[in-house]
Amino acid sequence: MTCEELLQYLSDYIDQNLDEELTAAAQEHLATCHNCRVVLDTTQQTISLFREQGKRTIPTLRRQRLFDQLQDAFLQAEADC
Amino acid sequence: MYSEQELVTTLRRRDPDAFTFLFESYSDKVYRLAAGLLEDDMEAEGVVQESFLRLFERLDRFEGRAKISTWLYRVAYNAAMDRLRQRRPTMMLDFAADDDDIPAPVILADWRDVPERLLTEAEIKAELDKAITALPEKHKAVFILREIEGLSTQETADITGISISAAKVRLHRARLFLRERLAESLAQHA
Repeated sequence: MTCEELLQYLSDYIDQNLDEELTAAAQEHLATCHNCRVVLDTTQQTISLFREQGKRTIPTLRRQRLFDQLQDAFLQAEADC
Repeated sequence: MYSEQELVTTLRRRDPDAFTFLFESYSDKVYRLAAGLLEDDMEAEGVVQESFLRLFERLDRFEGRAKISTWLYRVAYNAAMDRLRQRRPTMMLDFAADDDDIPAPVILADWRDVPERLLTEAEIKAELDKAITALPEKHKAVFILREIEGLSTQETADITGISISAAKVRLHRARLFLRERLAESLAQHA
């Protein structure tokens, strides 16, 4: 496997979507290619950082206001029935 | 805890507990998608409101072909994209085909331990925000849904109205783009 091919298959490799043959070829390439190893490791780190830190939430005060507004609308619909 | 069908049934009866469950389960999810696309908290809250109100209107006709979460995400995605188009009428240009070459990685320093070793949580978040802000919208939605919300490729494709293969390509490009952006800012510390 070449560096270009490894790059093309990188996401499938990370997601374990490659068949056995391609997985073996990727592992063989990664064992000897420092640059591709770094790209793989830092891509996995990128994904981990976003998974761990990317879960923002509605700010608390505005969340309560939004809850109240939507609850009113939800219950109002019953009154309108 | 409700099953999908129980939730729809109890929502139709306008049960306040069902509403609370719905809001607690899905408001932040929908908000994250909208805020990620719009980069504006108030507009993102507007999208949450619009999505929930649309669901309330449709409850009696909700057939359960899609999960409630998928349905809400899809309405929120479309609402956010409409708002973006209003802001930038030429945005369609960004939705060109996905068949151009994947750019080769440029920065090859290993910065994996930099965030934990040298940055505070707030600094890491700022770097992630900066990186994702630069990501094209068509890649951003897929990345948020797959990586941050943890949805399947099928669900992501359903929500964004693209094929599974397009969702995979966009996710791949997003990952490499974000890796390169983080490398630009973090590799100098490595």
